[in-house]
Amino acid sequence: MPKGGVVQSREETPGETASGSGAGEQKPKRWGMLVDQRRCIGCHSCSIACKSENNVPLGYWRSWVKGIQKGHFPDASNHFLRRLCNQCEVPPCVQVCPVQATVRREEDGVVVMYYGKCIGCGMCIAACPYDARFFNPIRNTAEKCDFCSARIDAGLQPACVEACVSRALVFGNLDDPSSEISRKLVSLGTTVIKPELGTKPKVFYVAADHQLMGRITFSDDFKEEILEYGRSIPSPDASYWKKGEGK
Amino acid sequence: METAVLYNVPHEVPWLVYIPLYFYFTGLSAGSFILSTLSTVFRIKRFKPMALPAAIISFLLLLLAPACLILDLHQPTRFWHTLVPEYFNNTSALSYGSWLLTAYPIANLIYIYFIFVKNDRVTRILGMVTVPLAIFVHAYTGFAFALVRARAWWHSALMPGYFLTSALLSGIALLAVVALMMDRYRQEKLEPGLYTSLRLMMIGILLVDLFWNGSFWLTLLVSNADGHASILLALHEKLYVWGELVSGMLIPLAILVFPRTREDKVWLCLASLLIIGGVFLMRYSVVFIGFDIPLS
Repeated sequence: MPKGGVVQSREETPGETASGSGAGEQKPKRWGMLVDQRRCIGCHSCSIACKSENNVPLGYWRSWVKGIQKGHFPDASNHFLRRLCNQCEVPPCVQVCPVQATVRREEDGVVVMYYGKCIGCGMCIAACPYDARFFNPIRNTAEKCDFCSARIDAGLQPACVEACVSRALVFGNLDDPSSEISRKLVSLGTTVIKPELGTKPKVFYVAADHQLMGRITFSDDFKEEILEYGRSIPSPDASYWKKGEGK
Repeated sequence: METAVLYNVPHEVPWLVYIPLYFYFTGLSAGSFILSTLSTVFRIKRFKPMALPAAIISFLLLLLAPACLILDLHQPTRFWHTLVPEYFNNTSALSYGSWLLTAYPIANLIYIYFIFVKNDRVTRILGMVTVPLAIFVHAYTGFAFALVRARAWWHSALMPGYFLTSALLSGIALLAVVALMMDRYRQEKLEPGLYTSLRLMMIGILLVDLFWNGSFWLTLLVSNADGHASILLALHEKLYVWGELVSGMLIPLAILVFPRTREDKVWLCLASLLIIGGVFLMRYSVVFIGFDIPLS
């Protein structure tokens, strides 16, 4: 594990991970993530690490960084919002799946996909309030961020957390009051995306701008905004992601 | 303060046109089936000649409906996963729906057999069992939308009711067209009172549908940001305003109410065809206007 990407409380978080998986089930675990927007520089390293780790096809993203610009020069600023699956405690996607292909794991609260069960009906994609799900065009099933479940099961941190250059991402156990994330959640003012839906997300944000959290409020030409949004959606007919497959 | 999005990742709409087509076919099927039971279960004699054709149409549409659903799956060969009891998800409307979609065509086929052999008593019992199935098989699609909290355009308690009434409406309109064709090409003529009943039912349900629509507008206009945006978008959408509302509801309503056109069979046929088209546009706009509002 590279030392650079690990958060400063290195002796706690990975240590507790190792003992948590070693000691068996008696220690409760609930994985969560804290995104410190004050530290995020918008380098997109987390998005790239996620793509490499999870083999996400070109043009599709499990996690990404949304960026907005406010104001005019000289009074202007850029803001970034690190987006990923919120690993809701009350997940709307698990509620609607007709075949239990996506479940919330009881042992650590992570919402995972069983790709072999998924029939590809798209109901979970329609039901996710955070647009965190998509169809993988190669596997032909729904796909989502699962906190790199293979890595956290092995006692590692998610790929994005290790890749973050500014230590803006904190990953840890929410049920352990001494973990770094729990201590930061107590001492900092945090928020989640769309709390009004009652999904109880486990990805928390520090100092995220309110205009980043939802979509930008529609102006009078909202139709144009929606069309603009539609134009940036990858087309199902696009063939660029098939390159390198011999298709 | 001006704000612009520099970069964001939207995901493509997961559904194709098969999904609204599927809702449309189950709706037509449930509507025709309920019309068929008017004579067999509720003993309204004037609908007697329609019982068998309505039931057969309802069964044929039921073969098309699951086909559309399976065509839209990204893993069509795994459709049977929905019928594995171990995979059943008791919070998912789709789980219940797939069982209903299996049970209902079978019950429907048995019902058709007993109409065909003219066994009125058994037909009546079977009809009584199958009517709730027909209602649920369509109402569940309304619940599939109403239970999605992510999208304000769908997340409404009115949705199942709206789906049911428009299903009945499309079924009645389809049967009116079928009755007109039967009248034209068969020896024995249908009772003129049948058309009056069909017309009055269509007027009643059109008014109920317009009431649902008005309730949607008013509540969405003062709803949260997403709901407000979706109703503004819908009212700017030509397919919704001119297709669904004007040519699918208001023009047929005028034709059916206006004294000079309401007795004429050509006008009745035109109004029924407009209603059949309008109900499809209703399914289409419910599904795709919901997806038009970006979530992030």
